[in-house]
Amino acid sequence: MEIQIQLTATPIAEKIFPPANFGAAGAWLEFRGLVRDEENGAKISALEYEAYPAMAEREIRRLLENISARHPCLAVRVIHRTGRVPVDATAIFIGIASRHRAEGLALLGEFMDRLKQDVPIWKRRAVPAPATSMLPETGSLPAKIILKSLDEAILEIQSRCQLRPAIRVLLEDSFGRVLRETVCAPEDLPPFDCSTRDGFAILADDPSENFRIVDTIHAAGWQPRELKIGETVRVATGAPLPCRGVRVVMQEDVRRDGDRINIVSNETALNLRRRGEEVKKGQPLVPAGARLDAGKLALLATAGCGQPLVSPRLRVMHFTTGDEIIPPSQTPQPGQIRDSNSFLIRGLLEKSGGDLIQAHLPENVAAAKAASERRKPEIEAADLILISGGASVGDKDFTRPLLEHFGFEIIFSQVNLRPGKPLIFGTRGPRVAFGLPGNPLSHFVCFHFAVATALATLTGIAGPKFLRGKLSEKLDEAASARETLWPARLFFSCGEIHLQPLPWASAGDVTCFATANALLRVPPNQNFYAVGTEMDFLPTTDMLGA
Amino acid sequence: MPLKFRHNFKKMRVLFFAQLKDATGCEWTDIPPAANAGQLWQVLVEKFPRLAEHKNNVRLARNWEYADAKTTFAETDEVALIPPVSGG
Repeated sequence: MEIQIQLTATPIAEKIFPPANFGAAGAWLEFRGLVRDEENGAKISALEYEAYPAMAEREIRRLLENISARHPCLAVRVIHRTGRVPVDATAIFIGIASRHRAEGLALLGEFMDRLKQDVPIWKRRAVPAPATSMLPETGSLPAKIILKSLDEAILEIQSRCQLRPAIRVLLEDSFGRVLRETVCAPEDLPPFDCSTRDGFAILADDPSENFRIVDTIHAAGWQPRELKIGETVRVATGAPLPCRGVRVVMQEDVRRDGDRINIVSNETALNLRRRGEEVKKGQPLVPAGARLDAGKLALLATAGCGQPLVSPRLRVMHFTTGDEIIPPSQTPQPGQIRDSNSFLIRGLLEKSGGDLIQAHLPENVAAAKAASERRKPEIEAADLILISGGASVGDKDFTRPLLEHFGFEIIFSQVNLRPGKPLIFGTRGPRVAFGLPGNPLSHFVCFHFAVATALATLTGIAGPKFLRGKLSEKLDEAASARETLWPARLFFSCGEIHLQPLPWASAGDVTCFATANALLRVPPNQNFYAVGTEMDFLPTTDMLGA
Repeated sequence: MPLKFRHNFKKMRVLFFAQLKDATGCEWTDIPPAANAGQLWQVLVEKFPRLAEHKNNVRLARNWEYADAKTTFAETDEVALIPPVSGG
């Protein structure tokens, strides 16, 4: 039986498809456990779940394997939420593919009973209604709210984006993707007691100084052999040891004479690694939600995980607009500017591992609608649509009607933020779209807090996170009625994070891109920050592993 | 030839969940290795007296599996205290 288990802190998708390749299945059974609006007689707005993820996944798998011995099914998918889950939202999803409905229903009933007894997941606390918290309940906010604060905009995007169904791909194709199930060690590592030196294995308590070589073990071979007092086996680095209770004398510490050795240096180290010393069988190695980099791929390969469960590559459609835009290789005539946003978006999306299609639209709603007809299949299929606003026509008059023409519902069309105020966010079922204000710095800012949040929520990875650092220079031109994300250069000094605010005059300013690697979060209506002030910032490169 | 063996004096890590986090004020603690459930509880209750009232409702887990009366513990094990669960 194929089993997929996920614990996730992001909303569970509204539509989850049965697994492909199960021609034998005559039934696909879905169950959703929802958060009720009442807990112990009191009205609530949300429940907070806590889990012991490594054990919960193992326990769910153990229960399913156990129960399916009596009610054989073909495939089971279990998704359990953690963290705060609002009323009406799905706390647990179970999908079962089986030959006939009877065994699926039996497995479901029994599994839910056992889950509530054995799986280490807890309802930690109920959030009373009405919620005083900032967190919106999915789908409950009126779409008419237009001007959002930065925090509200991030929460709104998180609650509207749905995690994409996970797929299995070859390890070769999984670089840069988000792992969706915790991968555990299938066996002890190292799998046997082995030598860490080229040398000679002897009994650990053998007091002899002269030994007879009775065998040789290379890294790839193993011949078990009980050693006796005065006997030794030649071993290579990484080679399995011949028996228990031995240590390895480095070859540098012996003098060899034919098939005999003399220990010449009193080295006391054991020079071996015990079976399971590094990792025990069943120990979680790479957690769900990790982006697979080179090191993690090597670890998955070591763990025998040839087809990891990962997020699918997102399909991203990016439209640039503006009649004044020319390619970088051309010299602008008066009124023209070179297209930089295409390259900005291409570069920013590179690390998220999506498939990007870029196209240009004329900056006239009717003409843009007509031109986009040719791109209809890509627009229909895109998980994420980005439209870079033009400069000559207001974004509101262009991007919004265009997104509505594509069938999107506009969730918000302004954020109380500088730069980036005219950011538009819309959804069409599970698909999401952003209208990015045309200026490059606005693009940079909106990408890092808004588009990055959507990409993270769609693929099941932790979203952008504000960190704290100290100002290395004073900031005294910050006064604005709007919250500001101020470009800055982050650097380390004496083990601390320092942030140098970079000069920028307007949202069209691009010179700061040469050094910017962070965005300082400057609260509204404050105009002076001294050197050394601790401030929130958003890193815009991976230098912190963030 | 006298032999000295290197030793790593590891401590045993014990994880707390749900209401046990409130009772202990922490998510985990390191204790001197305990060989069995009896020893483990003795050390833990000494360190966190408020755990005593939970003892009868809490199950122990060793390396992500529920322990039983016969389970023995080693210093490199991950031990967890599992209060009554309420998932789903």
